[in-house]
Amino acid sequence: MQRVVITGMGAVTPLGHTAAATWSAMREGRVAIGPITSMSRDGLRFGIAAEVQGFDPLAHFDEKKLILFDRVSQFALVAAREAIAQSGIDFSADDLGENTAVVIGTGIGGEQTHDEASRRLYGENNPRTHPLTIVRLMANAPACQISIEHKLTGPAFATSSACASANHALAQAFHMVRSGVADAAVAGGTEACITLGVIKAWEAMRVMADDTCRPFSKQRHGMVLGEGAGVFVLETLERARQRGATILAEFIGAGMSADAGDIVLPSEAGMAKAIQRALADGALGTAEVDYINAHGTGTPGNDPTESKAIRRVFGAHADRLAVSSTKSMHAHALGAAGAIELVATIGALREGVAPPTMNFLDPDPECDLDYVPNAARELPVRAALSNSFAFGGLNAVLALRRAP
Amino acid sequence: MSSVQDTVFDIIAKESGIDRSRITPNATLKDLEIQSLDAVQIIFEIEDHFKVTMPDRDPQFDTESVGGLIATVEKLLAEQTTQPIAP
Repeated sequence: MQRVVITGMGAVTPLGHTAAATWSAMREGRVAIGPITSMSRDGLRFGIAAEVQGFDPLAHFDEKKLILFDRVSQFALVAAREAIAQSGIDFSADDLGENTAVVIGTGIGGEQTHDEASRRLYGENNPRTHPLTIVRLMANAPACQISIEHKLTGPAFATSSACASANHALAQAFHMVRSGVADAAVAGGTEACITLGVIKAWEAMRVMADDTCRPFSKQRHGMVLGEGAGVFVLETLERARQRGATILAEFIGAGMSADAGDIVLPSEAGMAKAIQRALADGALGTAEVDYINAHGTGTPGNDPTESKAIRRVFGAHADRLAVSSTKSMHAHALGAAGAIELVATIGALREGVAPPTMNFLDPDPECDLDYVPNAARELPVRAALSNSFAFGGLNAVLALRRAP
Repeated sequence: MSSVQDTVFDIIAKESGIDRSRITPNATLKDLEIQSLDAVQIIFEIEDHFKVTMPDRDPQFDTESVGGLIATVEKLLAEQTTQPIAP
């Protein structure tokens, strides 16, 4: 068994176009939720989201290549470049790329391409569909495009588990590197889900907030959609030390579970099982955990259930944990959520700062933990967890320690 | 029984699978033990049938009780018929 470390991170989020900018916005408590600008708000019930604004694809890709990429792949490619550059890893040396894995989660895939193709076909009765529709919209496109751009020929695939897709991707990559199945991995999640069709579908479920995202707060009204990507370089501690790389954090465990219950209502037992498995997988004691990046969607169902699950696992230590939901700032990027939240978790471990739960008003008696309301807090973070709990009852939790 | 009430009762019975005789205007969907996913389907079927958009989180409307749903539909339908026809 190898020890696994993270040596590079990249992100494109509503809070910034790099991981560094995203983290500094989280520390400051900047909220990127606002009126939707990328489409007309006519016919939308509430018309708010956290969008990646000012992203110019032509600043990153030449026109000939760009035609191959849905926005979901663009985000992933830009985040991967940042992560790989930061890690300083050279995949061409010692045939490393030969056995480097690429695992990228997405809940929906190339939705803008799908939306556009449907609009032409059904809306305009235009029988001609763009020949690159499939290669742009397939859910594995982001993973493929990263493997092609960086010549990574190890195991490569997408994971799809709605809001837990990124954490499932990171868990797979972690387990492959730890066991030696892969020598290194590029992993994370990406989503570009702010389309008319997706917003209408979420609105129809009546789980969307009309004002903003207020996780764990009594006045929470539901979730807000976000978008973006987070991508990380995972390698063995041994290799990172040999090449003198800066280690951002040690990746020590991943726990997964399925509720096997309701398709939408979360289960405290299922969540607790994933948290316990992450702790066990990382041989991490509950008393060593100082920070949890919560799933914290701001829906009536998730927040009390997640709070109870944390209490069930941590017992009295639950009162000493800092637990925050950064979705209050970048909103819910579905299949990218866990990856964007790993930027927050790594930031907390590196700088000893718990990012806040913004937009917090009054506490809900059903949610009785310390949610770091409205301002970041300095505290030593030895180890941290990052929770993702998806529709369908699919749970994935990551466990990390400060860099050794 | 108004035709709106009749149709709303039919939709609730069909979508939730509960016995139609249990449904009364005073009952809330919660009283009838209707799960949240069934509740949103009921609202969708009502919207689709009457071609209206039911309010979400609007404190002026009661969409929790059966009677509230019926009153909301009747109000929305009345608004449609009194609206001037666009030139």
